[in-house]
This record gives sequence, structure tokens and C-alpha cells, in this order.
Amino acid sequence: MANITKKVSWSSRADDSNATGEGTPLINGSEPLGYSRQLSGGSIFQIGRVSTVDMDEEMTSDEDSLRGRPKEITHNEKLLSLKYESLDYDNSENQLFLEEERRMSYIGFRCLEISRWVVCGLIGLLTGLIACFIDILVDQLAGLKYRVVKENIEKFTTVGGLSISLILWAVLNSAFVMVGAIIVAFFEPIAGGSGIPQIKCYLNGVKIPRVVRLKTLLVKVAGVICSVAGGLAVGKEGPMIHSGAVVAAGISQGRSTSLKRDFKIFEYFRRDTEKRDFVSAGAAAGVSAAFGAPVGGVLFSLEEAASYWNQMLTWRIFFASMISTFTLNVFLSVYSKKPGELSNPGLINFGRFESNSLEYNLYEIPIFIGMGAIGGLLGALFNVLNYWLTIFRIRYIHRPCLQVMEAMLVAAVTATVSFTMIYFSNDCQPLGPDQAEEYPLQLFCADGEYNSMATTFFNTPERSVRSLFHNPPGSYNPLTLGMFTLTYFFLACWTYGLAVSAGVFIPSLLIGAAWGRLIGILLPSISSSSSTWADPGKYALIGAAAQLGGIVRMTLSLTVIMIEATGNVTYGLPIMLVLMTAKIVGDYFEEGLYDIHIKLQSVPFVHSEPPATSHWLTAREVMSSPVTCFNRIERVGTIVDLLSNTSTNHNGFPVVMNNAAGDEPAKLCGLILRSQLIVLLKHKVFVELARSKLTRRKLQLKDFRDAYPRFPPIQSIHVSQDERECMMDLTEFMNPTPYTVPQETSLPRVYKLFRALGLRHLVVVDDSNRVVGLVTRKDLARYHLGKHGLEELQLAQT
Amino acid sequence: MKINNKEASSRRPGGAAICTWDYIASTMPLCKTTSTLLVLSVVSLCVSDGDVVHVSGPDDTARQQQPVFVPAAGSSSRLSLLAAYPEDLEISEYCLHLRRIFQDRYVSYVTCLVPSSRPVKLCLNCLEGFARLSEIYTNISNDQMGPGNCSDSLLRSDRLMLMFRLYVDQKHIWEKSACDKCVIQDLRIPTNDTLYFMNELNQTLSCFEKYQQGNYSDLCRLCKSKYESLSGQYGLMEKNKHLCIDIEDAMNMTRRLWSKNYNCIYPREETIPVIAVSCFMLFLPIIFYLSSYLHSEQKKLKLIHRE
Repeated sequence: MANITKKVSWSSRADDSNATGEGTPLINGSEPLGYSRQLSGGSIFQIGRVSTVDMDEEMTSDEDSLRGRPKEITHNEKLLSLKYESLDYDNSENQLFLEEERRMSYIGFRCLEISRWVVCGLIGLLTGLIACFIDILVDQLAGLKYRVVKENIEKFTTVGGLSISLILWAVLNSAFVMVGAIIVAFFEPIAGGSGIPQIKCYLNGVKIPRVVRLKTLLVKVAGVICSVAGGLAVGKEGPMIHSGAVVAAGISQGRSTSLKRDFKIFEYFRRDTEKRDFVSAGAAAGVSAAFGAPVGGVLFSLEEAASYWNQMLTWRIFFASMISTFTLNVFLSVYSKKPGELSNPGLINFGRFESNSLEYNLYEIPIFIGMGAIGGLLGALFNVLNYWLTIFRIRYIHRPCLQVMEAMLVAAVTATVSFTMIYFSNDCQPLGPDQAEEYPLQLFCADGEYNSMATTFFNTPERSVRSLFHNPPGSYNPLTLGMFTLTYFFLACWTYGLAVSAGVFIPSLLIGAAWGRLIGILLPSISSSSSTWADPGKYALIGAAAQLGGIVRMTLSLTVIMIEATGNVTYGLPIMLVLMTAKIVGDYFEEGLYDIHIKLQSVPFVHSEPPATSHWLTAREVMSSPVTCFNRIERVGTIVDLLSNTSTNHNGFPVVMNNAAGDEPAKLCGLILRSQLIVLLKHKVFVELARSKLTRRKLQLKDFRDAYPRFPPIQSIHVSQDERECMMDLTEFMNPTPYTVPQETSLPRVYKLFRALGLRHLVVVDDSNRVVGLVTRKDLARYHLGKHGLEELQLAQT
Repeated sequence: MKINNKEASSRRPGGAAICTWDYIASTMPLCKTTSTLLVLSVVSLCVSDGDVVHVSGPDDTARQQQPVFVPAAGSSSRLSLLAAYPEDLEISEYCLHLRRIFQDRYVSYVTCLVPSSRPVKLCLNCLEGFARLSEIYTNISNDQMGPGNCSDSLLRSDRLMLMFRLYVDQKHIWEKSACDKCVIQDLRIPTNDTLYFMNELNQTLSCFEKYQQGNYSDLCRLCKSKYESLSGQYGLMEKNKHLCIDIEDAMNMTRRLWSKNYNCIYPREETIPVIAVSCFMLFLPIIFYLSSYLHSEQKKLKLIHRE
């Protein structure tokens, strides 16, 4: 305990359940004001802590109450999980870094710039290829399924026994979905859902465990193929964004930790700052491949990660997006046996709107705005329902086998509902010469006619969207569309959040297109002048935009994506107005779907704006204290003990300097990260050793990069008893100029610093530069504006 | 193309627009000296300007590039003297002869078309007529080297190009009907598929006729095999893309007769089993959720206090 007097200890009750050692950055909960140095590691505290160390073990309730253990609660949205860490977006300008920079020649910097471009090109290329792969496989598998079911239905229509077709369809669906759900639930749960919330968090600066790993990508791709081929009410667009991001994170590192291959390239990019830039390029490339919308992709990245942006990066991201959509286009043109005819820029192809149905009139704008409001209302309803469903799922359906069962049931019910709707539909339409439907079902229609309900249900969702946009007026009767909207709304709402990888874009578009088209059909019957309401396809487009806007609440990027996907700028204004209205109306009731899911994951998400009415809060109240600090020259044993203490898995440690007298409080002179300390310990950079072995290689920045991003846990590093007595000089390795704020800084100020600079630790100092506290992401993210003013989220072990 | 344009503009500052005026002022040599492409581009520019009158020019080299332009100033006097064309502008007797043949064949073809429009029978009925019309048109359009060059003088001497247009319209109808899919134009006979289909069709229709007096359910039962074999043949031809409008229309009519008039569609008999299976399927999730609600242990989280 000799030199612990200089050190402020934690009294946090955080415990470390994940033995990986990539622990959580701190929540040092203790007295916010009465921070007292003397108490450090005091025996009273130790006793208090003993009972909290082994929280993982099951305890009976009476024991619980006896010992005053932390309260157990059920999952809700007002929590922050300890599971999530921050990414280090702030560059550590230590001496190693400066040295490296000095060594690097002008050519070296040019090469770096060129390799950035190369990486972006590769990202685009690979993302496009993945999109192409997904598209082709889905096309083949779904085609196979629909052909089998169609033949079966045709057979049984004549001889009777259609209930067998129904069962066949349900079983086929469930089988596909079962495969998809098993790989997600058992192998990589993070690959579930659309992946957009996760990528949003990543770009925000939250390290979601395993989100950009190769395994995640494989599961994601296979999962999305299964779920779309399995006939769920899902799309393959959202997962593309995640896939693009994983591709980017993988390529930019020039190696794969999972495959244990290091190509020795792009080593400079092995840190969070560079990786984030590439991940945003990957996300953009994903959007671009999904919708054929390169500009939309760039804007999506901009909208989600606006705080870290510069001109050159935008240009590179645009390059990646363009390459991605071009690659997809080329390969799909080969697949559709028209090589060189570049007409498939995206996974979803909205088709081109004919020029005569393009125009919209001034008097239609109020109608569009009204549709936007409907979209907002329906979107809010969708989100509320999905919110309750997700809570239920988190609380009760958390075992993987249950998740698989649930997914299979949803698939079976989707098939059943679809079949029943088709069976009882009387809407027969003549087969056109240029038939858009690939699998027209006749059923009980007259020969030469097909069941109109089947064009919407008996098809992959993307094709259904296209038929709703482009089928000539009169292809659907209002009853069909109404029933379809109703059932599909609930099916899609039920499906989102299952343990399958699947997106919500297409189902939203489909719901919106259905009710939009319904409005388009009904309008002429209300008004007297029937001829002026031209094409119901136009209203289908507006409805689709409104519904999607109402659910996901994206603004600029969604407008551009819709414009690019339809390939015409004429609708720019109506789509913008519709999305605006949908967002305003929807936000009145409920947040966007992605935000809900981020909240329910208890992610410490730093929004673009600090909560209003928070100026009265100062850094002193926000910060965590007391803070564990290290001396500039610290004993190895102390460091090892602190790092391996499971109750304090902090990541950033301020480095303080003793003054000569020794009784004065230490002043801040730097900040060192857990990952850096671990690398130092691994390489045994001890003062004594350096003295004895003069030839010893000096540690370089490369050694830190090689360990990135999976730094070994402290437990795996062996330090002998002798070595424990050695000293470590942190001067070279710490960040000598960490960002600091005085205690009186207001919360919004701290917030802006965090958000704009992508900080992970912000040291709070007093007027003589002594460490008072530390602000981290979780300290900021816990404040949010609730219905009763400013509320604090609770921290929980998830 | 780009280089040529540059040439033009370097010679005449102001580029193409000026060239048009120059052209009207009889500066033919400019265009002649430049390459064919440039001539064409200038020509198209001139056309869009609409200042020039199109008549066939005496110049032999220009004749290769049709249509030919002559300065506007010279044209007004000629228009008033319709009969007084110079020697080489007059249509030769041979061409007039060709024109007359075209006229006869055109008339007979159209006379065939109109009655075949509904029910559609044009491919089979007017095959002969169309083949003859095509033949004479081909003759005319190939006659470029002949004594009067009938191809140019008949087909494209004026803006309207009526004969050309008349033929193209007919050809368009023919193509739209996809007649070539079920007739062999050169031999002027229907394909084997078509003949077989027509045979089946006749059998089916005669079957309909035979039984349509009595109960339609009898008809449905008795003619079913015939109708199905017809449908089979149609499906086969559809797969091979051997359908033309005649066959499509005949099949449509038959189908309508079958489904709508005689009401031979499959009845919706299995409502009960379908509903039963659906209800069972819909019950499964309810059971699932209820059981997981009741039996699954609710996931508890540990709160971490910050005093």
C-alpha cells in the first residue's frame, strides 16, 4: 500500500462478468461531491465490496435482501448496459507517435493517401459482390420454393387437397427460416436484425462486441438469404449496410484475426480512428448496393455519423459507394444474361416510372402531406407495437432454442396467412402480355386470369413492391389492397426483432405502397373528375416513402435514397414533404424504430444534441470520481493488481506527477489506456530490464497496432514475483495532452466536446491541474429528457 | 465526329449554326469536302432549322446522301410549275409500273385485314397478301441501280414518304401480331404447331357446340379432355414462344367460353380443411407465447448503484 496514497481508488461495484478483459470503461459510482482520498481502498469499503464481487452466482431472494445486494430488475428501456465500451477515436499523441511521424517521409504520406483510396475501392468492390451473391442466391432459392409450391397448388386445385399445399408452403418457409435462425441464435446473435442500429452505434463511437467480425458477416449473409427465401416479411437491404461495414472493417486492417492471417498491409490503419472512417465508407457502400443510391449512401453515413466528417473522407466514401453500385450492376447484368447492360444498380429496383405518370399537380401536394401524416401515425403504431414485443422478447424469449422456435412459428404463420388470403380472395385479373409476376397463381380464377392477391403475397417482397408501383391501374381491387395492408402490417411488425438477420426497409415500403395505392384507387371515386388522378403507382410510391419515413425516421438520406431508387428527381419535393410530415407526426408519439432498439439494447448512445434543460449540470456532478491514477513511474505490481481487479475494469487512467516534496497532491500529466498498459506488460517494458539489456529493441507503435483490436486480457499476461517489483516508465507511451475541463463546465459543453472530438475519457481537473474526476460516455449518455424533465438512466449488468 | 466538328468551326468561326446559313447561301463545297459524318450532322442541323425545302437535287454525289437540299431561293419558282420537272426528276415509266403493282397489292391486303380484325385471324388469312406486298416493296427499295432509281424517286423524294410509311405501318402491325411466330412467310404456309393447334381448337369448339344445349356441367365433363389437350398445346407453344395473335386470341376466346360462359371452374370446396389447418397454425404462436410467458424465467438484470 506504499504508493497507493497517491492513487485514488475506485469504489465502484462494477463487476466483470466477461473474462475477456476487454472490460468496461468505468462507472465509478461513488459520492459525487464528497470525494475523499483518504478512504482509498479502505477496509470498510472492502467489506462492502466483498458481497458484490460474485454477483453472477444465483442467490436466493432472502439472501438478497439480507445483504443489501444490488437490486434486480426486469429489462426496460431506461438502462445503460455495462457491456458496451467506447472506441478510441482520439489519437494518442505520445512520443512513439511523434517519432513515427518524424520518420515518415513525404512519399510515405502520399502512399498512405493512395492506400486509403485503394481500400475504399476494395470495400466498394467486395460489398457489391456480396450484394450480388445475396441477390442471386435469394432469387434462386425463392424461385425454387415458389415453383414447387405453385406446382403443388396447381395440382391440388384440380384434384382437391389444397390444405396439403398450405402445409407444404408453411413447412418450406419454416425450414428455410430455421436454418437462418439457428445460425443467428446459436452462433452470432449480434447478426440478428437489420444491423443498422448496431452500425449506428459503432459510428457513434460505441464498441459493440463482435459487430464487425468476419463470423458476423458470414452469419449475416447466410441468415438474410434464409430469411428472405423463407418468405418472412423482411428485406435484404438493411443487412447489406451491416455487411458493407464489416467488409470495410476487415479490409482496412489488411488481416483477419479470425482466420489468423496477416497480409502485412494497411498496418497504419489499425486503430479506431482510421477504422471508423472506413466503416462509414462500408456502410455507405452497403446502402448504395442495396438501393442503387450512391449519394444516398454517402448521406446515410453523414446522417448517422455527422460528427466526424471532412471533405476528403466524403469524397472517398462516395467513391466506395459508386464502385459498389457499379460492381453490383455489372455482375447482375451478367446474371440476367445481358452483360454490359447496366440496369440493376441496386438490390431493390423500383423500376422506372413512365414519363406520363410522372407529373404531379399542385393540388396533389396537400394529399401527399396528408399521406405523410398517415405514414407517421402508422409508423408510430408499428414502433409502439414492436417496442412492446421487443421488451417481451428480451424478458421471456432469451434462450436461443426459443428464439429459433419463435422464428419458425412466424414463418409458418406468414405462409398460412398468405395462403388463406389468397384462397379466399375473389380478385381475378387477366394475365397481361408483359407479365411482371413471375409466379402467377390461378387457383379459382377463370383460365387466363390470375389471383391478384397472389401477386402481393406469393412473391418476394421486393417484387411485390415493384408490382404495386408499376402494375397498370386496375390490377388490384381496393379490398385486396386493404386486406393486404392490414395483414402485412402486423406480420412485418411481428417479424422485426426475431433472431434472424433481416431488414425492415422492404416490408415498410410494401405496407406503404399497398395503402398508398389504395388511396390512389379510392381518390377518383371520391372526386368527380376521375381522369385527373392519373396513376395509382404514383400514390404507391408516396405511400411507401411515408410509411418508411414513419418507421425509421430518417430524413435527408431517405429522401435521396428514394429519389435515386426511383431514378427521378421530379418527385423530390413530394417525397421530402412526405418524409417531413411523417417524421413530425411520428415523433410526437414515439421514437424511430432504430432508436427504440438502440435504447432497448441499453447502449450508451451519445446523441447529436445534449438533452435540453441540462445547462445547470456541471462536470462535477456528471463525472465519476474518485479516479484511479498512475504515477509516471509506476510499480508493475500495482498496475497488474489494478488491471486484474475485476471490480474495476476501467480503461483510461490519468497519469499524475509527484512533485518533489511528495505531500502535495499530484498533478495531471497524461492519460494512458488499459490496452496500452497491457501491451507494455506483455513486452515487459520495465525500467530495470531496459537498464540491464541495452540492446533491447525499443517498443514501437507497430507493437500496439499488432495487438489491435483484440488486446489480450490481463489474466493471460504472466508477471513473475520479481517483475512485480520492477518499475514502469509511462512517459513515452501516455497521451501527454489529454483533454481536460474544469469542474464548472456545463454538461452541454462537455457533451459537445465528446461528440465532436469522439472522446472516450475527459479528465476533470481543478484549478491547479489536479485530477478530480473523469467523464466517460456512460456518464453522459445516462441523462435524457423524459416526460418529467431530466432523467437519469440506471446502469445494469446485461 | 468531334474532330470533324472542330474542323468546321475552325474554318467558320461560330460553328454549326453559321454553317446552316452558309448552306442556304449555296456553299455546298464546304460540306462536300468534309467527311460523310460531318455532312450528316450538318444536314440534321439544317433540318431542324426548317429553312430549307427538300427536293431531289441534281448533284450526283449529294444523291448518295439523302435527303438532298437545295437553296431555298431557287425553289419557289419550281413549285408553281408542277408539271415541268426537268428530265431526270420525272418518275420513269418503270417506277410508275412498280407503284401500280404496289397499289393493287396494298389494297388487296388491307381488304383482307379489316374482316380479319375481330376475331383476329390476320396471320392465317392475310399471310399471302402480306408476303406479296413485302415482295413488291423489297423490289422497289432494292431498285437503286436501275434505270429510274425507283427506290429514291418513289420512296424518299419528299418529306412525307408516303409509300414508305404505308408499308412500314403494315409491317409494324405484322410484327406486333407476332405473325412470324406461327407462319412461315417465305413458304406462305402456317407452321405445323399452328395447324395442330387449329385442329385441336376446332375439335374443342365443335364439342362445345355439341353439348351446349343441355346442362353446362355435362359440357364441362365431356369436353374437358379436349379442352385440356388444347390448353396443353397452347402451353407448349407459349413455352417455345411460338404464339401469334391469332392463336392467343383464339385461346382467350375459348377460355372465356369455358370459364365464363359455361362456368367450368374449380369450385372452392375445401374451405373447411383450409380453415382448420390455418386455425391450428395460428394457435401455435399463441400457445408458444403463453407458455414462454408462464414457464420461462424472466431475465433479471443487476442494477449498479451510483449513490
